[in-house]
Amino acid sequence: MFTIEKHYIDEMIAHARQEAPLECCGVLGGRDGRVLKLYQATNAEHSRYCYNIHSQDLLRINRECEENGWQFLGIYHSHTDSKAYPSPTDVHLAAPWPEPLYFIVSLRDADNPEVRAFRIRDGEVTEEELEIVWHAEGPPVPPP
Amino acid sequence: MTVTVYIPAPFRRLTGNCTYVEGHGQTVAELLDELKTRYPALGDMLQNEAGELPTHIHIYVNNQEIHSLQGKATPLNDGDEVAVIPAIAGGQDLTPEQTLRYSRQIMIPQVGSAGQRKLLDAKVLIVGAGGLGSPAAVYLAAAGVGTLGIVDSDELELSNLQRQILHHTADVGRPKVDSAQETIARYNPDVRVIPHRVRLTSANAMEIIAQYDMVVGAVDNFVTRYLLNDACYLAGKPYIDGGVFLFEGQATVFIPGRGCYRCLFPAPPPAELAPSPSQVGLLGVLPGVIGVIEAVEALKLILGLGESLAGRLLIFDALAMEFRQVSTRRDPHCPLCGDAPTIHELGDYEASPSSPLAGHHEA
Repeated sequence: MFTIEKHYIDEMIAHARQEAPLECCGVLGGRDGRVLKLYQATNAEHSRYCYNIHSQDLLRINRECEENGWQFLGIYHSHTDSKAYPSPTDVHLAAPWPEPLYFIVSLRDADNPEVRAFRIRDGEVTEEELEIVWHAEGPPVPPP
Repeated sequence: MTVTVYIPAPFRRLTGNCTYVEGHGQTVAELLDELKTRYPALGDMLQNEAGELPTHIHIYVNNQEIHSLQGKATPLNDGDEVAVIPAIAGGQDLTPEQTLRYSRQIMIPQVGSAGQRKLLDAKVLIVGAGGLGSPAAVYLAAAGVGTLGIVDSDELELSNLQRQILHHTADVGRPKVDSAQETIARYNPDVRVIPHRVRLTSANAMEIIAQYDMVVGAVDNFVTRYLLNDACYLAGKPYIDGGVFLFEGQATVFIPGRGCYRCLFPAPPPAELAPSPSQVGLLGVLPGVIGVIEAVEALKLILGLGESLAGRLLIFDALAMEFRQVSTRRDPHCPLCGDAPTIHELGDYEASPSSPLAGHHEA
């Protein structure tokens, strides 16, 4: 179970919609399992089918997190016309970053965007249940 | 040279949990070799089976990614800070249906799945949904070119159907961009069609062309051809041109900096020598041949394969059944792409007295 504030979910969806039909990508930085900042990144591939966080964005985000004593808690990207599940390529390229949770925003159903999160370690994909809250200390947001 | 190497969190287990390690070398390549000796597990991450630096590892020298410097030959100075950070990347794979649909071209070693993804990601603008644009659009769509823009302001006439295979008898009177969109959707639902039901003009050309990777010209008049030529050069986009007349057709490719239509034909022919397209006889299959050649050139450019027609004008004589080619080259005196250009923006093409054909996009 991973607890995340609703506005981060909304920001990921908004970023995906803004970049559509291209894939968007970014990083959730934070500490002790709590997300403290969402970093939008440039997709260096400018692609509908793949993402690659621009090398200068990656360096900048990594530096800021280091300076704050934060980790990469999450990495997100969008699937504009397929389901919110990691593709084999997503799994393969996740190998160097086993710690963060991988969030995928699916816009396949434009009116009902879906956000799901996965652990990807040693080629194994495990879905992580999300507890979405208004505020970190508050109760969960009731389902729609 | 002694440098400091920053090790990001995911690699720290490979360096005894050190965030910074010292490294030595005159160049990045030497530094990497030295790191491999001292930290073999890190070394495994920094080379692929061929011993090369994997594409998913970013190396920075003083905050600059080395591909923007001199790659692995980037020189190092005492006190430089080097960072080694794995890329964060992923990608959708072809769906089982796509793998099957495009299997015959995925089998081509130079295409493969990676090439198919390039095609699905490509954005091609086809100007004219007529005799040339129809076969070009049909084959590009069937090949899985993911985004096709179609520019045409006309409605379909019965006399178009002898060659314009994007449209059907029931479409007579409808906007051609509408029937084109429907036909393409029936061929291949993977393709996103962007209809532009406008006449291409100086006012809208740059904005439309900017949304695409390249342009297939499928026009039958000199006004639009010069406009497209100039707009593509100014936008830095490849322009694939085709034309037909009676039993003869021509095709070529203009890559910015390697010559343009004005290098070949500095001025449009006088009006009396350029008859109205609807008054010229045309074997319907001829634009079919030339339009398909334009599609081949577009696919080659997207896939980065072979020799494009840039620098060559291909001439097809249907009666002799002969293809000839003439070499073309950039003219240093060209007013558009020459050494001292005088054309810096799109002009007033309609006003040209020698261009009575404005408004027609079909061939």
